[in-house]
Amino acid sequence: MGASQTRSGKYQDLADKTGFSLEQIQNLYKRFQQLSGNEETISKENLDSIPALANNPIRKQIVDAFFDKRNQHQGEVGSFEEIGFEQFLMVMSHFRPPTLKTTEEEKEALRKEKLRFLFNMHDTDNDGTITLEEYRKVVEELLSKSGAIGQEAAKAIADAAMLEVASTNVPHMAPDDFYEGITFEHFEQILKGLEMESRMNIRFLDVDTTTMRCGKTTS
Amino acid sequence: MAALMNEEGGVASRLQAAAATEDLWCLALGLFQVWMFVVVFLIMLPAMFGLSLGVTGVYIQVLVRVLEWATLRIQRGRREQPSVPVPLPNGIIERVGGSMEEEVGQLRRSQSLAGGKFALSDAFYFYKKGLESIVDDQVTQRFSSEELASWNLLTRTNHNFRYISLRLTIIWGLGVFVRYCVLFPLRITLAIIGLSWLVIGTVLVGFLPESSVKSWLSELVHLTCYRICARGLSATVHYHNRENKPQKGGICVANHTTPIDVVILANDGCYAMVGQVHGGLMGVIQRSMVRACPHVWFERSEMKDRHAVTSRLRAHVAAKTKLPILIFPEGTCINNTSVMMFKKGSFEIGGTIYPVTIKYDPRFGDAFWNSAKHNMVSYLLRMMTSWAIVVNVWYLPPMTIQDDEDAAQFANRVKSAIAHQGGLLDLAWDGGLKREKVKDSYKEEQQKMYSSIIAGQNAASSPKPTEEQ
Repeated sequence: MGASQTRSGKYQDLADKTGFSLEQIQNLYKRFQQLSGNEETISKENLDSIPALANNPIRKQIVDAFFDKRNQHQGEVGSFEEIGFEQFLMVMSHFRPPTLKTTEEEKEALRKEKLRFLFNMHDTDNDGTITLEEYRKVVEELLSKSGAIGQEAAKAIADAAMLEVASTNVPHMAPDDFYEGITFEHFEQILKGLEMESRMNIRFLDVDTTTMRCGKTTS
Repeated sequence: MAALMNEEGGVASRLQAAAATEDLWCLALGLFQVWMFVVVFLIMLPAMFGLSLGVTGVYIQVLVRVLEWATLRIQRGRREQPSVPVPLPNGIIERVGGSMEEEVGQLRRSQSLAGGKFALSDAFYFYKKGLESIVDDQVTQRFSSEELASWNLLTRTNHNFRYISLRLTIIWGLGVFVRYCVLFPLRITLAIIGLSWLVIGTVLVGFLPESSVKSWLSELVHLTCYRICARGLSATVHYHNRENKPQKGGICVANHTTPIDVVILANDGCYAMVGQVHGGLMGVIQRSMVRACPHVWFERSEMKDRHAVTSRLRAHVAAKTKLPILIFPEGTCINNTSVMMFKKGSFEIGGTIYPVTIKYDPRFGDAFWNSAKHNMVSYLLRMMTSWAIVVNVWYLPPMTIQDDEDAAQFANRVKSAIAHQGGLLDLAWDGGLKREKVKDSYKEEQQKMYSSIIAGQNAASSPKPTEEQ
């Protein structure tokens, strides 16, 4: 019972850095313990073994995003082998919804952060652009390897989509110009209309949003 | 003269010492006799005849009152110190429903894309689902004990309940004393008596020739021992719908939470057990049990051969006079909040299936056996030092396989019926995921679904080239 007192001091730091409430941090810590098997760090294998994640066609990109140093906002590049609870929280904080108290500038900044996170997920070699190869990879992962769409068709779809992006962003491209890839500014431009506030948020619950019951839990 | 007196004095003191130790012995013997009297006459004999003196009932009622009072105190304490955390029963994030098609469609509409073939925003649906799974998923939480909404005064379930008041702590201390010093020795005694009676009794019955007398006697021996063992755990079982009890020549299936499930079910009827041959104490018990009535024990090598297993079970079921087989199709222990996938092997044997739902009341003790965390002995010790074990058992109406379904669908039908009766969550995931990973075929399902969305769009938006020409 005494150990939790010292933890709450550390949690206050994390709360300030990431914007979660103390309660949400405690819930996430329990989840972290569950995933890591009560160890201090999580490795990629721990995340890979979540059954519901196995369903997801782009799970590799999602798991890699947790280990990507760019998402820690400390100016480093590369990737970790294992992450601790603080890094876990930092990645999660990208998906916090804005509260009533967030100003317009903060909302803009949050949106840019989310876009940066998603851009990093595609730009695997960290050269600042999403090249055709990288784009193709995402499309291929999402589509079936053996199903309604064959690999050639998937490639064609990726190429067509890329062409569309190019023509939107660089409208006066000469026929010999080579489109390098989608830069972050172009990425923002493409997704300008996308309503991120409701799509890319995960509402973390805490006691204000649930009713307390006595007796046993019902699932 | 003085020497004589000294000698007399020495003898006297020795006599006194001897008398003192004899007194002590008499006292100990007397206590032991009282103890055995209580155990034998007040617990064992009524158990043998299926009667109850009602002591356990009163105990449970008192316990419920105490726990309710404790809950109110904890709630009051929470209101006063708002930093005390609350466990969230339905997961830690809010999930919005909606199928893949709806969500992808919404993403595109918000961008006002004119029916594009592939949009970067499509990927967002999968990102969000992936993140949600990492934060909170339905399967990983089933392999650890259920978290209670309020503390039940056992240290082992105390995850984040802090010091609330002095009275609560005193009651908790009293509880520790009662559980460890009064109930625990009683329960151990009963368990030892029960198990040894099982071994001795079945061996004795085994000497008789095959006859109806033998089966009647073996039933009596089995029932008695399981009743004594159940008292050894302070188990209170409520059986519902006893008219649906499994009959001879049938197969009884139930959800699996703990090895104690066997004791709970066998209190009310005799079953033929199915399982692997073990060594040690379990092996001795298994060998003696099979002398009295035919259980089905498999060697380790036989378990790998599915056909051998199925044919042996089939032979058992076909002989309509044999006891119903007891099988747990989940294959592993789940924490009693949900029912996971039933392995279809048990449903291929044929015969009538009698489903049974077992639901433990978590307020009185956590019955789930987390085999990764505790071994069998420490698990049994934990069980014997909980408050009690309160169980509800529902016998469901018998089911048989229909003509138009295969074994897997039949298994799912039975599983849903069991989950529905017990108020448990019906999950399609395999309990084997406790130790293994998911197959890649699941990922391909989602890929196929998404590509059919795109292919559907393609067919609608792009005109066929032949028509243009």
